[in-house]
Amino acid sequence: MSVTGLLAAELRKTVTLPAAWAGIGVAVLGSIALTVLNAVTTRSAIDAGTPERVANTSAFEAAFAAMPLGTVGAVVLGVVMISSEYAANAADAGGGRQITATLTAMPRRMSLLAAKVTVLVLLVIAVAAVTLPTTVGIANAVIGGAATETVTPEQALLRGLGGALYWALTGLIAAAVTLLTRSGLIAPIVLIANNSVVSVSLLLTNLTPLAHWLPDLAGRRLFAGMDTVDGGLAAGPGALVMAAWTVVFLIVAAVVFRRRDA
Amino acid sequence: MSAGRAHDRMVGMLLIDQLVKRHGTRTVLDHVGFEAHPGRVTAFLGANGAGKSSTLRILLGLDRPDGGTALVGGRPYRSLRDPLRTVGSMLDGSGAHRARTARDHLAWLARSNGIDRRRVGEVLDQVGLASSARVRVGRLSLGMGQRLGLAAALLGEPQALVLDEPVNGLDPEGIRWMRGLLRDQAAAGGTVLLSSHLMSEVADVADDLVVIAGGRIVAAGTLAELTAGYDRLEDAFFALTSGDGGARR
Repeated sequence: MSVTGLLAAELRKTVTLPAAWAGIGVAVLGSIALTVLNAVTTRSAIDAGTPERVANTSAFEAAFAAMPLGTVGAVVLGVVMISSEYAANAADAGGGRQITATLTAMPRRMSLLAAKVTVLVLLVIAVAAVTLPTTVGIANAVIGGAATETVTPEQALLRGLGGALYWALTGLIAAAVTLLTRSGLIAPIVLIANNSVVSVSLLLTNLTPLAHWLPDLAGRRLFAGMDTVDGGLAAGPGALVMAAWTVVFLIVAAVVFRRRDA
Repeated sequence: MSAGRAHDRMVGMLLIDQLVKRHGTRTVLDHVGFEAHPGRVTAFLGANGAGKSSTLRILLGLDRPDGGTALVGGRPYRSLRDPLRTVGSMLDGSGAHRARTARDHLAWLARSNGIDRRRVGEVLDQVGLASSARVRVGRLSLGMGQRLGLAAALLGEPQALVLDEPVNGLDPEGIRWMRGLLRDQAAAGGTVLLSSHLMSEVADVADDLVVIAGGRIVAAGTLAELTAGYDRLEDAFFALTSGDGGARR
């Protein structure tokens, strides 16, 4: 069993899964749609002579505001890559689960998990590499010369990379939690709701400043500029804390996965 | 016998020795041991819940035993390099995700074990699923799912086949076809181990029988040895599994 064989098998398994494309679609197409909406709103505010109606007129910010959708896409990818292994087939089709086929073909569990993690990170990077330039391009096309860009290219690149890192780490945490629970429900409920509906972690900061060390808030400054609350960790230390959380989740999931019956 | 043939025999030999498995306080397998030999079809018989699947899952490295060993050609399954080329297996139907097509399922399996892509089409043909290659697994009938599982087992042209209830859901024609396929495998020197809860299902195909009841092996031997003295195969089976031999003539 070669490393390339494992990686190619896991990549192939993921891209032939319709649910994985739902995650990729949310990240790419959802971000594009949201960017168009943001950019058109900004443009019409400028054209109407009331730019104060929008938070700022930067094309980059109009595109970057769609970043949370990439997090949702990464969570979906991380979850379905694992939950698809444990989903039972219909009872009248034998009721089997794919994990049986996976582990008989690739019985070295740590190598298998490493391959899954690698494929997930590669896919998230690919999604970011398509989404970020596309949305920034669209926002620039819509807003164009109507406003002056306040974000320098260096800042834009750094924040794009930071955002992609945040996506990848969140996707990995989602995958680890799903592997621990063998269920595709818990991770998306917690991670997607917390990212998009109401941030429980953010509310917790009102109770204790320790909440700033939770994985999602620790990594929040990777998006730099989305300063919804003051305080908490700076981008660099925050990224390290979030990465440390991710490693802990993955190690716990790996130890359990190695020991447990399939 | 040449050294090469001795090696071939080793590769496909399945050895299960003193397996113990507990779920909490319940003992599922109580020192289970038997062998399956190359060139022979070994039927592993027992009622539902007797311990057949638990034994096969440990043999295939899916579950961990609390004691004992299970070896494929002298090695634990988990240490096999490209295991699908040594052992083809089927447990609980196809093991394919319902949203994926039959062809895509076999394609990733082939890729994982460095098996030539050409084999995907070949095994689909062999099991009669060529026309359903692009159908999503969730839309296959139970019998077609079994055929897909068998296609996956045959993919790596393995020396040994380990099949859990392989004729489940097959129509009479399918059962006949499956028997022919298993006999051909054994005739070509392969090892075949299949589980069943019906003795009549395996009587026409098995050379050796291993009978398990309540997590213990209660009988093992050739078909002729184990059925001698009984009018009907089912009588032999029930006598062996109930442990009283009352139906013996």
